[in-house]
Amino acid sequence: MGIAIHLDDLSVNFDDRFQLNNLNWSIEAGQHWVVTGTNGSGKSALAAVLAGVGKIEQGSLSGLPSNVGLVSFEAQAELIAKELKKDDADIMDVISLGTPVHEMIFDQCQDPELAQELVEKFGLTPLLDRAFRKLSTGETRKVMLIRALSSKPNLLILDEPFDGLDAGTLTMLQEHLISIADTVPMVMVLNRFDEMPDFITHVAYMDKVALESKEAHKHRSEKKLSGAGKLALTVDKNDEQAFHELYQLLHLKTTDLSVPEADPSTKLPDLDPSQPLVRLKQASIKYGDTVIVDKLDWTIEPGQHWQLSGPNGSGKTCVLSLITGDHPQCYTNDIFVFGFQRGNGESIWQIKQFIGYVSTALQWEYRVSTSCKNVIISGFYDSIGMYTKSTDNQKKIADQWLELLGMKDRADQPFNKLSYGDQRLLLIARAMVKHPPLLILDEPCLGLDDMNRQLVLALIEKICEGKETTVLYVNHHAEDQIKGIEYYLGLKKNN
Amino acid sequence: MANYFNTLPLREQLAQLAKCRFMDSSEFSDGVEALKGKKIVVIGCGAQGLNQGLNLRDSGLDVSYTLRAEAIAEKRQSWKNATENGFVVGTYEELIPTADVVLNLTPDKQHTPVVKAVMPLMKQGACLSYSHGFNIVEEGMQIREDLTVIMVAPKCPGSEVRAEYVRGFGVPTLIAVHEDNDPKGEGLALAKAYAVGTGGHKAGVLMSSFIAEVKSDLMGEQTILCGMLQTGSILCFDKMVEEGIDAGYASKLIQYGWETITEALKYGGVTNMLDRLSNPAKIKAFDLSEELKVIMRPLYNKHQDDIINGTFSRVMMEDWANDDANLLKWRAETAETNFEKTPAGDVEISEQEFFDNGILMVAMVKAGVELAFETMTAAGIIAESAYYESLHETPLIANTIARKKLYEMNATISDTAEYGCYLYNHACLPLLGDFMKGIKTDVIGKGLATDDNGVDNARLIEVNAALRSHPVEAIGAVLRGHMADMKKIV
Repeated sequence: MGIAIHLDDLSVNFDDRFQLNNLNWSIEAGQHWVVTGTNGSGKSALAAVLAGVGKIEQGSLSGLPSNVGLVSFEAQAELIAKELKKDDADIMDVISLGTPVHEMIFDQCQDPELAQELVEKFGLTPLLDRAFRKLSTGETRKVMLIRALSSKPNLLILDEPFDGLDAGTLTMLQEHLISIADTVPMVMVLNRFDEMPDFITHVAYMDKVALESKEAHKHRSEKKLSGAGKLALTVDKNDEQAFHELYQLLHLKTTDLSVPEADPSTKLPDLDPSQPLVRLKQASIKYGDTVIVDKLDWTIEPGQHWQLSGPNGSGKTCVLSLITGDHPQCYTNDIFVFGFQRGNGESIWQIKQFIGYVSTALQWEYRVSTSCKNVIISGFYDSIGMYTKSTDNQKKIADQWLELLGMKDRADQPFNKLSYGDQRLLLIARAMVKHPPLLILDEPCLGLDDMNRQLVLALIEKICEGKETTVLYVNHHAEDQIKGIEYYLGLKKNN
Repeated sequence: MANYFNTLPLREQLAQLAKCRFMDSSEFSDGVEALKGKKIVVIGCGAQGLNQGLNLRDSGLDVSYTLRAEAIAEKRQSWKNATENGFVVGTYEELIPTADVVLNLTPDKQHTPVVKAVMPLMKQGACLSYSHGFNIVEEGMQIREDLTVIMVAPKCPGSEVRAEYVRGFGVPTLIAVHEDNDPKGEGLALAKAYAVGTGGHKAGVLMSSFIAEVKSDLMGEQTILCGMLQTGSILCFDKMVEEGIDAGYASKLIQYGWETITEALKYGGVTNMLDRLSNPAKIKAFDLSEELKVIMRPLYNKHQDDIINGTFSRVMMEDWANDDANLLKWRAETAETNFEKTPAGDVEISEQEFFDNGILMVAMVKAGVELAFETMTAAGIIAESAYYESLHETPLIANTIARKKLYEMNATISDTAEYGCYLYNHACLPLLGDFMKGIKTDVIGKGLATDDNGVDNARLIEVNAALRSHPVEAIGAVLRGHMADMKKIV
């Protein structure tokens, strides 16, 4: 563990859109760090600097080891985007299947033995021949972890490594990290203090930096930064007082939330209150001989808030996509949604108008470049991007949501330049903006920091209190339970 | 079967070639009504077949798939594609007699046997839809008089047709009605409803004719789109290596260079692509392209003439009948070129460097786009069609080269395009031999060796004016404007 990394008054620029200023930080031999902070403060950016990302504008960065292993949502999204892009240009009539999992893991692998062991431990063996981009969110994350761990890194950077993993996998990963802690220095970005492994020795706290006024910018350069962050303080974990204060800081709660009204001019068709919102009868999903969902009966009545849980690969997202109409096999199942028996000439947009939806996959698919305000307004149209002119009233409501999220100054900034957590908050607003009869939140807190997690959960509780929206909530974390949810459905893994 | 186009009088040929109109969104207010409750049966389940079917079904339409009995018995990929997505799949005998609309989404080469097999099974008064007019126009397929024949062709790969629909949008789409087969006068209504069902009406629909589609599509794909990029790749690579530039670098500059420079073309036409160069480099690229246009114009004319009079399709169909002997030989030769065999080096090339060090490539794209456009419009094809089949599609093809070089391009385009590409390449390589002797690394590989960016004012004004006043730029500005209106906020 002979590393010594020094950041001296370092300022780093990320594609002229984000800036880290005046970083002073030393990572000495024998230390393991956690980086934490508010959404948009540059936690992930700081970690990425250690992986050689960003342009150094001043100061110095020394002692970076040659082989750095990096696992992050950004890197995961990039890899997925790359895989999806491979599919983009087939002019001819062929279905591109994408890179298989075994190729993603074993091509250019430094330690195939370890990789093999981890594949088994993580239960990925049955998926080795499947296309990487067909995997679930949790499964792709496991592939990322295996790639990094088996690359024989001199420094391991794990940005939210535990998010999206089920309990069994999480324990396994924590044990593995403990076993290598003596030989590999680690820097972790964590939003949850309770996930901090014991071997962590130091904590770094990041904070947002107020942007200079436009006037001041003009004099310096033409850059249009959407955010900037700094390393606000570092804490030795043995210093109990300081450690506790940091914990408090992250738990700051916002008060007095109220949800903006719906738009009276874009009123949805009335639903018959005596009929269920959703009724699945003996619903099944199969790929070839592999059964993902087996004969599921499920009825959601108006006003019944549900929590759906189950390990990675148990088909949670598949079940949801039967309801939303995104799964092609919704046409071969007995599904009744919002007054429609599926497969009788209704269009998918007639179904989607009743649903608000948030998931990690949606965030990855939301790759169009549009403004933050338009992302919220697109919720009125169930579209990704905007293809219709919005009304003044819709714009007004979007402004109210931006204010609620504390993002009023970002209204016209491009969505894809925001941090991961800020993007998520906007997508939740997008889902809620039309006050849908059914709001589906597929792991809505994935990748959010403590403060924003509290904000989101408080928002969901508010929605649950109201009469008009029924909430369907999917989450791994037992502690993220929501007041007002009284119905539970647990899915088991079939294969 | 005789070439249909050649049976028409000149007046009718010209009228058909000149058909292409950007439709107003108000023309789609009936939505999918004309197809509601009708039984749609798709033949073939490749990327277009599958993804169009998914969209049509999500638009509330009744879609099923018919495959050849062997494909079903052997559970081939097409069978899997359809069944895993929850579609009913059956043989021609089972499904075609029940169909109100049959969508033929098989490759060109199979059209004659497929149509001959399904036509006798089709219901009286049903509709047969194509996504490419080759079978009707070039092969002269005669369709039963009671059947309506239409064409609906999304101008994007199948995967994108689906991805854009799911986002709530669509891809630009060309529609046409075969006037000899429109007994009930419902062809246009069906084609419009089909375009709505795939989401195409949101991105823009061109109303064209079978003839305009075939004659412009063939010309575009074999000259600028595939032929020019293949020839340019081979010539530029060999020149750089001959001049001592690292082969890995040369390979990378070309493989990713076409994609990068044509991205600029996509956003702002030839003008914007040239505007990415420094002033001295822009003038250099302009001069080179003028020279290239003079040398290559007879070749573009020949391709267009052969396409218009049917020589091209006749010769190609002779090769089909000869087990694709020429096609396969040329495909093997392409795999053996030095460019194809040299992997892209592990060097960083910035976006701007692709322009600065690829002046000749920019000149080749400009010359190819303008020549293809000029030749098509001179042959009576309307500017809208000529634009879509030249400039608009160039970035799509360039993307395939970025993925896996010429192999990928030729594997993903249709056999018809691939055949035409090789024809062009074989004629163009020797044609540019003398021209290439005068080429040095300042225009391909290293960039202009000058610290002085000065140029003569008068010359720069001339060059800029020439770029901006080319007719492909005028129509391009209008059509990109339509697209931007529709995609305004994105």
